[in-house]
Parts: sequence; C-alpha cells; structure tokens
Amino acid sequence: MTDAAPEARARAPDTVTFFLPDFCAARATLAIVLIVELVAFVLAIARHATQASFWIDLASLSLFLLWLGLSSSAVLCRSRNWLATMSAPRAAATALGLLLLTIALIAEIMFQTGRLWSRGLVGIASIFPTDHAGFLLRTIAIGFIVSALALRYFYVSAEWKRSIELEARARIHALQARIRPHFLFNSMNTIASLTRSDPSRAEEAVEDLADLFRANLSDARTRIPLKEELEVARIYQRIEQLRLGDRLQVRWNVEDMPMRALVPSLLVQPLLENAVYHGIETLPQGGTVTVTGSFDGSMIELEVRNPLSSVPATKERRGNRIALDNIRQRLDLAWPGQSRVEVTQEGGEYRVLLAFPYEGPAA
Amino acid sequence: MSARVLVVDDEAPARDRLKRLLAEIDDCECVGEAADGHEALKACAALEPGIVLLDVRMPGLSGMEVARHLTTLKEPPAVIFTTAYDEYALEAFEMQAVGYLLKPVRKEKLARALLHAARINGPSLARVAAAARLEPRRQHICTRLGEQLKLIPVEDIYCFLADQKYVTVRHAGGEDLIDEPLKALHDEFSPDFVRIHRNALIAERHIAAVEKVTEGQYAVRMRDRAEPLQVSRRHAGELLRRLREGIPD
Repeated sequence: MTDAAPEARARAPDTVTFFLPDFCAARATLAIVLIVELVAFVLAIARHATQASFWIDLASLSLFLLWLGLSSSAVLCRSRNWLATMSAPRAAATALGLLLLTIALIAEIMFQTGRLWSRGLVGIASIFPTDHAGFLLRTIAIGFIVSALALRYFYVSAEWKRSIELEARARIHALQARIRPHFLFNSMNTIASLTRSDPSRAEEAVEDLADLFRANLSDARTRIPLKEELEVARIYQRIEQLRLGDRLQVRWNVEDMPMRALVPSLLVQPLLENAVYHGIETLPQGGTVTVTGSFDGSMIELEVRNPLSSVPATKERRGNRIALDNIRQRLDLAWPGQSRVEVTQEGGEYRVLLAFPYEGPAA
Repeated sequence: MSARVLVVDDEAPARDRLKRLLAEIDDCECVGEAADGHEALKACAALEPGIVLLDVRMPGLSGMEVARHLTTLKEPPAVIFTTAYDEYALEAFEMQAVGYLLKPVRKEKLARALLHAARINGPSLARVAAAARLEPRRQHICTRLGEQLKLIPVEDIYCFLADQKYVTVRHAGGEDLIDEPLKALHDEFSPDFVRIHRNALIAERHIAAVEKVTEGQYAVRMRDRAEPLQVSRRHAGELLRRLREGIPD
C-alpha cells in the first residue's frame, strides 16, 4: 500500500476510511455477537417473560441468531473491499441486500434441517419452526430492522471517529502552515548578528518577532479588524527587511480598503511570506511585492503580486500550496460559498487574489 | 599557519556575524566575503582561500552549485556549508561527511568545523544535492582558464564531444574543454541532452535538423551551423523516436 503510486492509491478502494469496520477482525466479531445476543434476549423476553421455557427458548434463539450473525459477518468481511469502492449510501444499500439474502438463506437451511431432523427424532421438533412462510417472513423482517440499525450504528461511529481525526489533522496543518522554520531560524540568525552591531535594532526585531508569533498562536478562527491584519503583515515585512535589505520592496496600495472590516486572522502575512520565499529570495537583485486592496461596497478584494525567478523552482521551493489551501479553507469556513481565491502565474509574475464579503464590526 | 577563510552568504547580517565570530577565533582570518555565487567563484580564484563558508541557499547560483564549480579549481578550497533550515540537507551532509553549520552558528562549532574542514569532491556533492532535493543538476558548466573560472549556462550549450582525454563543450560563446566524463554529464542533464554517439551528447533544444546521409545513417545539424554530427546506428532509433514525440510542442 505504501509503495503504490499516488494515482493507483487514489483509485484503490479507500478501505481505511470506509464506514464498515473490518468484520474479519476480532473487535467487529465481538460487536456482532453482542448485538445478536441482545436481540435473542429481547425476543425471548417478549415471548416468555416468566415461563420456565425461557432459558431453552433463549438458547435455541441464540444458536439460530448466532448462525445468522456470524454468517452475515463473514459475508461483509469478504465483500468489504468491493463495497468500499461505492459511495456510502450505495454501499449501505448493497450491504443490507447482501445481509437479507444471507439471512433468508440461513433461515431456509435451518427450516429444512429442522424438517429433515424432526422426522426421526420427536423431541427436537418443538424447537424447530413449523410454519414455513411465516418463519421466513418474520426472520427477514427482524433481520432487516436489526441489520439496518447495526449498519447505521457502524456508520455513525465511523463518522464520529473520522471527524475527530480530521479536526486533529486540520490543527496540525494550520500549525505547519503558519510557522515556517526557514523564517524562524533566519530571523534568529539576523537577531544574533544585530545584537552586537546594532543592539537597538535587535531589540526591535525581538519585539516584532514576539508580536508575529502572538498573532500566529492565536486561534485561527478568530476574526480581527483588517487594520490589525495588515499591521501583522507589516511587522513581518520589517523582520524580513533586516535580513534581505534593499532586495525586498513592498508596495502597499491598501488605502481604499475598509480598515474596520473583520477578517480571519493571518490572511495577508502568509501571502507576503510566500511572495518573499518563492519570489524575492530567489532573485539575485530582489524585487517588489505589490499588495493591492479594493472594495466595492460589498466585496473586498486583496491581491498580492510578486516577480518570479526564471530558473525553474527546485523541489523544496514548491511547497506554497499549504498556506494557500489553509487560507482558502478558512475563508470558506467564514463565508461558505461566497469567497474566492485565484492564483495565476504569467510573464514571470505570480499573483494571488482573495475576494470575500465585507463584514463590519458588531454594533 | 592560520586558515584563510572566505565568507559567502547573500544576507548581510549573516555575513557580519560570521566575520565577527572568525575574528574571535584564533588561527584563522577572514580574507574576504561574497554576496552571491558568481562573486564567490571570482573571490576564490583571486584570493585562494583555504576554507569557504558557503550558504546553501542563495539566489542565482546556489551554494551547492558553487561548491560543484569550486572542485574545478586546481587547488579547491575546503567547503563548510551553512544553512538556517533544510529539511533534507542535513542527513545528506552527514551521509557524505560534508562539513556544515546551522545558523545561527555557535562559535565553538565554527572553531571545530574550521579545524576539521576538508575538501569535497564532485561526485559526493552530486549525491548530497540529489539527497537534499536541492539542485539535482547544475545551471552552469564550469571550465578553468588558468586560475579563472568561466561559467557556461547549460541552456547555451549545443553539445558535449568526448575526445581521448577531455570533453569539448560547444556553446553559444565558443568552445571549451572540461574534465568530466560524458557518462556523468549524460546522467545529470538527461532528458534535455541526448546521446547520439559513443562520444557525443547533444542538446535536444538546439537541434536544427536531422539529415539522412545514406540508408540507416543519420547526421544531426545543430543551430550553431558547425559541422553536422554523426549519429551512430545504436543511438539513431532512440533519437528519431524522441524527436517524433517532441513534435507537438
């Protein structure tokens, strides 16, 4: 699995995240046995709550239902890979169909066995059903209800597990996207250098770095005024300026933007960081990053442009998707379906455009 | 005798810090500094330092490429790489026993690295570059003219022609000799360069025409209008297939 090519992996059934558990494993089999025994209890209690035949009835019901349950489990075990290639509703419907077929088959075998057996041995006849059609119908009806409930249970618990995993992964991604080690260690190096040559600038750099990290560590879901967000980006620019000197120029055309607008935090700084990391830093002469904002009364547009090196990027420099994906996700979370992120690259220039609705401060 | 050190880094504060640390360490002196790869090569040829402190990431000519070119010098300096953060490089440095320092550099570590600084050779650098996912191939080919190094951009090269002992590089600016095996050049610059003969490796982008000389015998005319190059029978099939596939773009 790990050695498979990415395309092959994408096409292969996604058995890891599939909602049905692996019925060949002990855990799922135990769950099936428990479900079966509970159903046997319910049926036995419903029939003979107080009578002496309760235990005998429970035993024979258990035997029959365990046959049903374990056969169903075996069928699901064998067909899991096939079911995993389908969408969840189709897989559920198919699984239900398979289960009903299995149940009907076992019930029929059971009935026929009982008929054959009871010819010779009179005492056993009482625990086997005598009404053929009624027995099959009842078994299938109960089988349908219990199977449907069990499938639903497996689906819900798998979804719950998946959402927890997704949330954890999203958090890790957010962290990775925010703090780029390259930036951290280079800034540390700059500060180490300034500590002796220019202590007051070193002090400012430490203050700036602290502010930047505070912004980075704040909850990614909070909204802050655009003015503050731009300030964070300017702090970032100041730190990089110490390191890159005149190679980094930033032109801010943001006067037309509504500074009171509330935006998800860390919207502009990661874009500026990408522009420096993938653009300015790779150019011997440096270049100018242009940040342009516009506002038409309802939508805010923010554009970041930077020149690119003509030399094809090396592999390690191609990692700017994480920050962009992160921004796209957070904009979509804030304004579902109303935001857009456009990326274009032409004529040696890289351009990212964010567009999202204006949201003023609460009155 | 104290070590003569050249500091190469594109960031001024990083250079300043290294120079200051070097001043505090006994038995070494900073003989110069360079802010990019081209300057570094010039400074190496002019100042003949014993050790170069070389930043891995620099715009234009990267540290890794500078180090490869330095091995062309008659007496190449020892190289110690410096890097702030490179996910893949460190392991590669360890594997090939290449000296490196992490920024911000500690004075003790710098002193120790200077004591143990050693020359590195081209092949082990090529392995570092590949493992570090830095430039797997050079952007330039370097030739030595006396004590000066001359860089030929790879995109200007028409072909490499192997002689008995040397390889001739035919490029937009003329012809030069280099001391690298054709096989290694082929490995590095494939698929942009195609082997057409045991002793010829040509740039696909500079092919002007392929002519049939006799039945089953071909010759390639390059854009530099020099003599056509003979294609060996063994390589003809491969060349024609590649050219046919290349036609759409």
